[in-house]
Amino acid sequence: MSSNHEDIKREQIAEAVEGWTHGGPLYRRPAFRIMILVVLFSAFGIWAAAFFTDKIMPSILSTQMGSVHDTVILFTVLAAPVSALVYAIAAYSVYKWRRTGGDEPPPDGPPIRENTLVTSLWLGMSVILVVVLLVWGMTALSSENQGQLKPVTVDVYGQQWLWTFKYPGTGVESNQLVVPTGRQIRFVITSYDVTHGFWPNSLGVQVDANPGFNTYITADPTKTGQFAVRCSQLCGLYHAYMDANGKVVTPAQFSAWLISQGASSSAANAYALGGK
Amino acid sequence: MSTTALLEDTKLGPKAGGLYRHQNFLTGIITGGLAMLVGWLIAHYTLQSNANWGSDMVVTVTMAAWVVGFMAGIGAFNAVFRWMIGHDQDHEDELYAAGVSQGWKRYFKFCTDHKVVGTQYLVLVMTLFAVGGTLAMIIRTQLISPNNHLISPQTYNAVISIHGMIMIIATIIMVSGPWANFILPIQVGAKDMAFPRLNALSLWLVVAAVPPILISLFIGGVDSGWTTYAPLSVQSPPGQDAFSITIITFVVSVTVAGINTITTTLTMRAKGMTMGRLPIFVWGSIVSAGLGLYAMPAFLAAQSMLLTDRVVGTSFFAPAQGGAGWLYENIFWIMGHPEVYVILIPGVAAAMDVASTFSRKPVFGYKIGIGAFFGLAVLAIMVWAHHMFTTGWAPNLADPWMLTTELISIPTGIFFLVIIGTLWRGSIWTRLPMYWVYLFLWNFIIGGVTGIYLSDVPADQYFHGDMFVTAHFHYTLLGGAMIGATAALCYWFPKMSGRMLNERIGKTAFWVVAIFFQVTYFGMFWEGFQGMPRRIAAYAPYFHTANVIATVGAYGLFLGWVILLYALIHSWMNGKVAPSNPWHAKSLEWHISSPPPLENFLVDPIVTSDPYTYGEDEAATPAKNPTPATVGSSEEGAH
Repeated sequence: MSSNHEDIKREQIAEAVEGWTHGGPLYRRPAFRIMILVVLFSAFGIWAAAFFTDKIMPSILSTQMGSVHDTVILFTVLAAPVSALVYAIAAYSVYKWRRTGGDEPPPDGPPIRENTLVTSLWLGMSVILVVVLLVWGMTALSSENQGQLKPVTVDVYGQQWLWTFKYPGTGVESNQLVVPTGRQIRFVITSYDVTHGFWPNSLGVQVDANPGFNTYITADPTKTGQFAVRCSQLCGLYHAYMDANGKVVTPAQFSAWLISQGASSSAANAYALGGK
Repeated sequence: MSTTALLEDTKLGPKAGGLYRHQNFLTGIITGGLAMLVGWLIAHYTLQSNANWGSDMVVTVTMAAWVVGFMAGIGAFNAVFRWMIGHDQDHEDELYAAGVSQGWKRYFKFCTDHKVVGTQYLVLVMTLFAVGGTLAMIIRTQLISPNNHLISPQTYNAVISIHGMIMIIATIIMVSGPWANFILPIQVGAKDMAFPRLNALSLWLVVAAVPPILISLFIGGVDSGWTTYAPLSVQSPPGQDAFSITIITFVVSVTVAGINTITTTLTMRAKGMTMGRLPIFVWGSIVSAGLGLYAMPAFLAAQSMLLTDRVVGTSFFAPAQGGAGWLYENIFWIMGHPEVYVILIPGVAAAMDVASTFSRKPVFGYKIGIGAFFGLAVLAIMVWAHHMFTTGWAPNLADPWMLTTELISIPTGIFFLVIIGTLWRGSIWTRLPMYWVYLFLWNFIIGGVTGIYLSDVPADQYFHGDMFVTAHFHYTLLGGAMIGATAALCYWFPKMSGRMLNERIGKTAFWVVAIFFQVTYFGMFWEGFQGMPRRIAAYAPYFHTANVIATVGAYGLFLGWVILLYALIHSWMNGKVAPSNPWHAKSLEWHISSPPPLENFLVDPIVTSDPYTYGEDEAATPAKNPTPATVGSSEEGAH
C-alpha cells in the first residue's frame, strides 16, 4: 500500500473517532446519544428482571431460593449495561447511518479494520465481569449454613410417577413433603426405577434421583408456606403428573404433623426439635 | 458465454456414468424399501423368537437395512465398487456423476457437483425445519390449555423427542450443508470440494437418516427426549432403536462433511488466497467442522452403546447390571455442548460477513474474531458438565465447571464486538439480509444473558430442567444461529438460484418472525420463572397465561417462516434475474455468474487482497478483483 493510501486511511479513522466525541453540542454527539440509549435499555432490563423475580417466581421459602433471586438481580444489573451497549450501538447505527433500499450500494464506510483500545477495553470488561460472576457463584456455593442444630434428614424416593418422603426414626412415610423452618434439611435422594429430578421449587434446590445410589442436597427453609415438588427430568409416560405438595412449617407444627402421621410423640419431638 | 465452452455443454457418450445413468432418488427409495423388507423378513423369522429383545433386534436390522439399501440404490457405492474390481471411472463417468447434461434431474441424483449438493442440502434443511416446526406446533397446541387431550402423553413424549432431534439435525447442517458446500469452495477459489464423492455421500446419508426417526413415531416413539437419557431410554419402546440408527448414520455424515470442508479450505485455495485473506465465514465453517469432528463421534458412541444395551443385552447404562446413567449423560454432553457451538459458529460467521457487506466496511477485528471462534471451540470441550449441575455428579467440580462456562462469555462477547464494530459508522444498506443481522444481535444477546444465569450453579438449582432453559436455548439456537443462517440464506440466495429474493415479502416475513419470536419465548421465560418443568404434557392451572402467550406467539412465528418460504419459492420461480454481484460484495463468489457454472472458474483466479477492501483507495490495493476470474455471464467487466 502506498503511503498516500495510509494517509487517507488515517484521516478517515481520525474523522471517525472525532465524530464519536466531538460532534457539536453535547446532545448531538453520538457518545451522548448512545449513553442515553444504554441507560434506557439497562433500566428496562433491570426492571424486567425485578418484575420476573418478584412477581412471577414462587415465593422465597429458603436461603437457597433467596440466593436464586439475588443472582438473577445481580447478574441482570451486571449484564444489562453490556447488552444495552450492543443494542444502543446497533440501534444508533440504523438510526444515524442507514441508507434505505436501492439497488446500488451506498458509498463505502471508513475502513476501520481494528482498534486496539476498544478491543482491549471490551476484553477487559468481559474478564472483570466473568471474575465477578465466578466469585459470586463460588461464594454462594461454599456458604454452608452453620446451624446450631443437626440437620433434619429426609429420605426422598422417586418412582414412576410418584414421590415418597420418609422421615427416618419416626416411621413416617408420606407423599407430602413437610419440613420445618430454622433447621437445615438434608435430602437423601434415590429412585426405584429411572432417573427423576427432585425439585422442591420454592426451596431453590434441585438434584436428580438416580436408581441404585443416593444423591444429596441441603436446603435451609426460612419461612413457612406452600410449594410444589416437581419432577424436572423426563421420566416416561406420566412425567407431567409427577407432582407432590410441599409445605414449610414451624418446628412445633412439624412435630404435630409427624405425630398426626403416626409417629410416637417422643420420636417426633426428638426428630423435629433435634439436638446439638 | 458464447466464447467459452462451458463444461455443462459437454456432449457425453451414451454409456457415460454406467450404472449411475439408471440411479436416482427413486431407485434409492425402492432399493431401500426392498432391503427393509428383506431385513425385516430375516430378522422376523430368526430373531423374533428371542423373548427378551426380539422386537428391538427386528427394528434395528430393518432400519440398518434401509440405510444400506438406500445408499446402494442411489449409487453411493458404485465408484468404490468399480475401483475395487479394477474398472475405475473414466473422465466421462466423472463428468456424468457431476451432473453434466442432466438438467434438473441431477438434483435427484448422487451428484458430485458441490453446488448441486449445496442446493440439495438447502431443500433438505428446509424440509426438516418444516417437519420439526410442525411438531412444534403440535406441542404448543397441546399446551394451550392445562389438561389438554389433543394427544396422549405417550405421543406427546415422542413428539417432543423427535421435534428436538429433527431440529438439532437440521441446525447442525443448516449452514455447513448449503453454504459450506455451495459457497465456501468458491470463496476459497476452488473448482469443487476436495472430495466430491464424499460430499454427495454426506448429503445422502442425512437423507437416509431421516426416515428411521420419523418411523420411530409410529412404533412406540421415543419417550426420553432428544437427550434419550439412560436408563429410561434402555427401557423405551422400539422407536428408540430407529432413533439410534438415525443418529449413527447422521454422525457418519457430519464427520465426512467436516473432513471435506476442512480439507477443501486447507488444500484447494486459489493462488494468493492466503489463510489471512479468507472471508471470515470460511474460518467459522472450518472451526465448526473441526469441533464437529471432536464432538459428533461421542454421540455415535453413546447411541451405539445404548443400542447394544437394548438389542444384545450389554449393560453400559443399566444400573441393575453395573451400568450407569451418569456414564450416558457424560458421553452425551461431551457431544452435546460442543455441538451447540458447531451449530452457532458458522451462523455467527455468516452474520459477520453480511454485516460487512451491508455496512460497506471491513469486518472489524477479523483476527480477534477468528481467535474467538477458536477460543469458543476450545472452551466448548471443557464445559459439558454444566448440563449436569443438578444430577449430583461430581459436586466438587462445580467451581471449575462454573469457571469454564462463564469464560464462554468472553469469546461470545467478541462476536458482538466484531459485529457492532463493523456496523459502527458504516453506510448501513438496509436490504433484507441486514435485517436478519440486527435480529440476530437482538436475540443472541438475550440468549447469552440468560445463559449466564444458568451458568451459576446456585441459580441453576432453580432453573435447570424448566422452561427457562427451553427459552434460553431457543434464543441462542433459533434466535441466534438460525437467524444468522437466514441472513446467509437471503444473502446468498441470488448466487444460488440466479434470482433476486422478493424483499417486500421477505421483509413482511422478517417482521412477523421478529415480533412473534419475542412473544413466544417471553411466554416461555415466564413459564420458566414460574417453575414449569420442560417436557410436560399437562400443567398446573397457574401456568396457563404464560402458555397461552407462548402458543399464540408460536403460531405467529410459524406463519412468519411460512411467509419466508413463500418468498423463497416465489422468487426462485418468478424472481428478477440476479446479476453476478447484486450486493457489490468483494469475495470470490460474487465475481462469477449467478448461478455459477460447473467448476466455477474457467480461468483460475488470482487473489491479491482479502474481500474487505471497502473504503480503501482502489489504486492503492491494485487487484482487489481477481483479474482473470471473470467467466460466464459475469458482469464484472462493467465495473
